[in-house]
Amino acid sequence: MSATTAMDGPNRAQGRIQSRAPETELIREAQAGSRVAFDALVRQYEQQVLRLAMHLTGSEHDAEDIYQEAFLKAYRYIGNFRFECSFYTWIYRIVTNLCLDQLRRRKTRREDQAVIVDHSGDEIDVLSSVSDERAFSNPAKELDRKVLGSKIQEALAKLTPRERMVFELKHYQGLRLRTIGEMLNTTVESAKNTLFRATKKLRAQLAGLR
Amino acid sequence: MNCELAHERIVMAAYGELPDDAAHELDRHLVICAGCRGEREQLQALKLLAEAYPVAEPSANFIARSRLRLEEALDGLPPKTWLERFAQRAQNNFASMLSAPLAACLLLLIGAGAGSLGGYHIAQSRAAQVISKTPPKNALPESGDDVEVANISSIVREPNSEQVVVRYNRLVPTETKGSLDDRDIRQLLMLASDNSNPAGVRGDSVELLAAECRAGHACRGAGGIRDALMVALRYDRDEGVRLKALEGLQPYVAEDVRVRDAVLEALLNDSDPRIRTAAINMLEPVDADTSVRQVLHTVANSDRNPHIRLVSRQALSHVPDFQ
Repeated sequence: MSATTAMDGPNRAQGRIQSRAPETELIREAQAGSRVAFDALVRQYEQQVLRLAMHLTGSEHDAEDIYQEAFLKAYRYIGNFRFECSFYTWIYRIVTNLCLDQLRRRKTRREDQAVIVDHSGDEIDVLSSVSDERAFSNPAKELDRKVLGSKIQEALAKLTPRERMVFELKHYQGLRLRTIGEMLNTTVESAKNTLFRATKKLRAQLAGLR
Repeated sequence: MNCELAHERIVMAAYGELPDDAAHELDRHLVICAGCRGEREQLQALKLLAEAYPVAEPSANFIARSRLRLEEALDGLPPKTWLERFAQRAQNNFASMLSAPLAACLLLLIGAGAGSLGGYHIAQSRAAQVISKTPPKNALPESGDDVEVANISSIVREPNSEQVVVRYNRLVPTETKGSLDDRDIRQLLMLASDNSNPAGVRGDSVELLAAECRAGHACRGAGGIRDALMVALRYDRDEGVRLKALEGLQPYVAEDVRVRDAVLEALLNDSDPRIRTAAINMLEPVDADTSVRQVLHTVANSDRNPHIRLVSRQALSHVPDFQ
């Protein structure tokens, strides 16, 4: 699990607990119509939302669309939020549904997601955005990594949208299966089975790479 | 643990979702199962491979750009009117109330049930108090009174209760006074001659009835005093009562074959020799009735009691004197 999966780290969880009371106030103010309060909520979650959307879609453009649509929906329907779950779960539920819709559309369109497309339309290899701590990288190794990365993306693209989402949330985002179940409006057992199927499929597809 | 379950648990363990006890069980299985150990290694390799597609953090520029676009979109939205806000708040309240009816119904049912049960118990306890304070009409009297319980006819216990219903008959001591010619007095005397009564009571009643019969006072007819005396002669346990009954029947030996038969039975079967001897003496003046003669012959020849045999022979010797 990468360092970026600090989402569910103990520090972040502690911070969420500590900010629960102020967050509740922000939510109530946003429900009352305060734009400032809503902007504060956006700032709390925008990075996670973009991170998830980017990794799932492989496109900055698509990630930005999902980000926009998710927060517009949240602004529109925040009055319906009844504190039955955390705002974190609620906003992620919106994001995951939008990402699933995107994945399903891609399945029908069969787009090539080997690379990320930025806002200007240029293709960017996602692996090139990963910083290399060494001053000089090994070009051969770099190529191997890129090939491997594209193979991984191909294998991920062959999963069903639901399997892809569960694997993304569990492996890359580090969420608990219980949280994943709440976000996808399903049971923990169902999420568990989906994760198991996803890993089984990935292992079968990546068997030649090991 | 089978390998299929182990494969699932390997995935859960790799992602930190396996409880400690299940993890321990898995470890024990992996010690003995090489196939599952290979499965675990493959999963770990997959996790490593997946890192070849790392999660990229959005750049600050990207975040700022996205936020700006969002703010433009939000600014372009028309502000919510007070009506829209009111409608939304009402919708939220209504949504909260949607779950309330079920809770309210449940609360109502629970409250009604508890209230009914409580009221039932209170009513029961009050009824019990009233019953305990007010003695029933037919309650057993305190000790010292003369009323006796004749018998118990039934005992019924109420279900799920400590209450028991006992039906009994009482004896209410009463006295009456009247002439021996009084029909009611005679009825009571005949009842008194029944074997269920004490011997003294039976003896007194039979003696009075016998005196009536000897006096010839309305000792005729079926079910009358004569019958009561014959029953006493045949069945009473006390020989003194039987003797009194026999003496009372003497006036009717000659005229009533039923009385004669009762006397002959007493001669043959009674356990008391005095009664048998008295029976023989009562038969003496009777006419030459074949049954009487036969019984006397039988008794004279075969009776175990020598005195009875003697008296019988003496009676037979006076046969021409029989009426």
